[in-house]
Amino acid sequence: MDVNYAGVLIGREQTAQRGRHAAERPGLSMAAAQAPAVGALPARLTTDQQYHLLSRFSFGPSSASLSQLARLGPAAWWDGQVALGRRYPIYSAHPRIAAAGPLLNRSPAQVRASQKAAGNEYSWEMMDQLTLVTLGLQAFSPAQLYETVVDFFANHLNVSNHADDQTWIRQTMDRDVVRRYAFGRFSDMLVASARNPSMLRYLNLADSTKQLVNENYGRELLELHTVGLAARYSEVDVKNSAKILTGRTVDDNGNYVYRPEIHWTGAVRVLGFSAANTRAAEGQAAGDAYLRYLAQHPSTASHLAQKLCVRFVSDAPSPALVAAVAKTYLANGTSILPTLKAIFTSQEFWRSRHAKTRRPAENLIASMRILDVTPAPDIRKALDGMHWMTANMSNAPLDWVPPNGYPDVAPAWRSSSNFLTLLMLHRGLAQNWWNDIVLAPKNTALYGRTKPATSGAAIALLCTRLVGNPLTPAKRGVLQTFLGEPASTPLAQSRLRWYLDHLVPLILDGPDHALR
Amino acid sequence: MTRRLTDDDGGRFDRALRANAEQVAAGLACQEESWSAGFTRRRMLQGVGMAGVAALASQLVTTKVAYAAGPGGTRNTVIVVFLRGGADGLRMLVPQAAGLGHHYLSSLRPTLVQADADIRTLPGTSGWGVNKGFDALLPLYRTGELAFVPAVSVAGVTRSHFQAQQFLERGGTSAATGWLDRTLAALGPGTTFRAMAEGGVAPTSLAGPQPDLSMNSLSDFTFPGWDGVKDASITAIRSLYRGIDSPLAQDVQTTLSAIAVAERANKSAGAKNGAVYPTGNFASSLSDLATLLRAEVGVEVATVDVGGWDTHTDEAGDLDALTASASAALAAFMTDLGPTRRKRVTVVVMTEFGRRVQTNASNGTDHGTGSMMFLLGGGLARSGVYGKWNALSANALRDGDVAPTNNAFDVLGEVVQKRLSVGSLASIFPGHAFHPLNLARTT
Repeated sequence: MDVNYAGVLIGREQTAQRGRHAAERPGLSMAAAQAPAVGALPARLTTDQQYHLLSRFSFGPSSASLSQLARLGPAAWWDGQVALGRRYPIYSAHPRIAAAGPLLNRSPAQVRASQKAAGNEYSWEMMDQLTLVTLGLQAFSPAQLYETVVDFFANHLNVSNHADDQTWIRQTMDRDVVRRYAFGRFSDMLVASARNPSMLRYLNLADSTKQLVNENYGRELLELHTVGLAARYSEVDVKNSAKILTGRTVDDNGNYVYRPEIHWTGAVRVLGFSAANTRAAEGQAAGDAYLRYLAQHPSTASHLAQKLCVRFVSDAPSPALVAAVAKTYLANGTSILPTLKAIFTSQEFWRSRHAKTRRPAENLIASMRILDVTPAPDIRKALDGMHWMTANMSNAPLDWVPPNGYPDVAPAWRSSSNFLTLLMLHRGLAQNWWNDIVLAPKNTALYGRTKPATSGAAIALLCTRLVGNPLTPAKRGVLQTFLGEPASTPLAQSRLRWYLDHLVPLILDGPDHALR
Repeated sequence: MTRRLTDDDGGRFDRALRANAEQVAAGLACQEESWSAGFTRRRMLQGVGMAGVAALASQLVTTKVAYAAGPGGTRNTVIVVFLRGGADGLRMLVPQAAGLGHHYLSSLRPTLVQADADIRTLPGTSGWGVNKGFDALLPLYRTGELAFVPAVSVAGVTRSHFQAQQFLERGGTSAATGWLDRTLAALGPGTTFRAMAEGGVAPTSLAGPQPDLSMNSLSDFTFPGWDGVKDASITAIRSLYRGIDSPLAQDVQTTLSAIAVAERANKSAGAKNGAVYPTGNFASSLSDLATLLRAEVGVEVATVDVGGWDTHTDEAGDLDALTASASAALAAFMTDLGPTRRKRVTVVVMTEFGRRVQTNASNGTDHGTGSMMFLLGGGLARSGVYGKWNALSANALRDGDVAPTNNAFDVLGEVVQKRLSVGSLASIFPGHAFHPLNLARTT
């Protein structure tokens, strides 16, 4: 990778290696290397780097997003994405997709009434709409950075969609917690999640009372949402974590309510937090103070930084990067965007091309985006089709059952049936099998303005267009063999006239697309 | 072959969604259960690798098949059928004689103990009978091909579906690998053909470094799209993944290698020997498996999952129907293989836990401890009921459950040791003191 860094970032270990990096990279001056530990970006991106960025901080490159990134450069692209996410919050960045989820903007009571009026109070219509809109925005929203952050925190604070006790309330977790605070502070998101009916039902805090404490939420709050197992809290901590949060429950209308009469009172200690917690009327405030303490705990910073680096960099990020990201999180009062930007501006990120495996749904959506498909006119049918495709690979968004969110490392997704399903989806998309779901332009459009002169030039061009680089000569040779003709064959005589529709999915089947 | 969405896909999708909701409910039930049992998820998660956690989502799907093949010398196959949800052993294998505690059983669950007319007494036992749902399998009892073990569990299993399934499938360790994966490792290098799974990923028992192959169905395990470019496409994809350092690269090679074998086997698909399979995923999975076994592609280990055994409400009707349908599918499988081929096939049927002895408020039973296993096919010492049993009484129960007197790992260990010649079980069930029940034979 030929990179000109305006500076380098990250912690001590990498600083110690600075001399070696500088020696390897003539463009990297020692003065730049001593710059502050934030804000280093390649000044200009290679095509492959454009694909890298858009495969991590978006659901995959599309023609539109590639040309926008090429025009803006990485720094302005980031700022533009931040502005877009702020200007069009929640579902509003893509009105046509948002229109497929009319129930998502309603209160629990309104959802219930609406479904009742439609004939089935207990219908899963609202939960379906949430899945559909999520998929649609991931694939088609211009606010891609926002969607990647939403996806991360929807998994971090997982609440499984499509469950009977979520029928009228699941949208509140997505709308009022994850999407509302995705570009804000994690501490605010955490406090909101601990007052969210959907979360409270899922992890049983809604059932927890001073007489009969349910420890489920109190434990997962520590283990999954905040400090993590590495903090080495005790079972007494877990019990106290559950006790201080009693009183938080859900009323008959599906709204959050704090009921002091079921709040456990008495002194509470968890890790370094303590509260006298003597008055039930102040129990909610005591709980909020506890949640804010946890959000700002150094172990939470490390735990979140590790997960963010696994999501955006590699399955095994360096401890130095994790430490630098954790430090940024704490220095910025748990603000999410500066924390992400520390990753975005790290050398390790820019050197991690293809270090991640696309999860099955990510592969599908990235395939749709790189082929510039558009949803069919019947948007509901289009999104239903995408739901079917992802569910077929056990990867429909928001449907992970246990509280730890979809796994995010390659070995967790080893599956030959999913691989064969992806081969099928690549062919179906590139060959327009499902034109009532999505429409792909003719594959000849992938050539762009200037048609390649020969079969070999076409292969190189198509690879660059689809995966960001022309591949090695050996791999291009593999594709040339597939076509069964010499690279010098003029395009006018090339078998590509018939085989283009088969070559395109083949390139998407390969590792340069399967890895991100 | 072009795959297009059809109305039938829509229907299947809807059913899949509903099934997912059942998983959600079960997942939440596990969470709640874990609190009441004082179980610490923390300890388990520390030992659970990501791959194992991934497998959980599809653990409760209706049917799932996985098989593994290797060059091992025996040419035998062990199939593990997992009844997901906690099957009620007491209504499947009934202590029918007074000496086994039948009166006490009837006093605690009067509506769930069958009338004698609905119990099939097993000859040559101390008074055991089985649910009439086993009728389809009883001919195998007469030919020495059906055996039962009551009161089975393993110390460390709790009343949580999540924990119990993980614990059993990991072979009682906190390792990230499953006991069947370690069995394959102990058998030596494997061949291409490994795992076939309805619903995406192989079960936890197969989690680990041994290559896995999962399928929705044998007929779907094919290269999609136009046949005219199929072979050239497969060749190209294999070459593209050569030298790639990722688990994906290994899986791609394994998967593509298996396509031709699967397609060849699929050409001879279809029940033989007059076998008639019932409808449903479990039966179609077994039918696929029979096809593969007949094709002699070298299957050594297979797992099949059947969901729906969590009978908290109206158990009698549901459980009897489930038992009958599972028996019909297994009987068709045995018939399909025929008396000669099935001599090399041993099926072990297990579940994560048994159920409370006493009926609950909904004519069902809640999660308990000791359950039952049954085995069929070749390789059994004889038909019968194996293992220890304490006659049911107030003193014999443990927290209202059947106290486990037989260890699931003893049964599984004996079967892979004798049928697959796996040798030492030390790496497969680490730390387990092995006491075989002598229910299998080596030839």
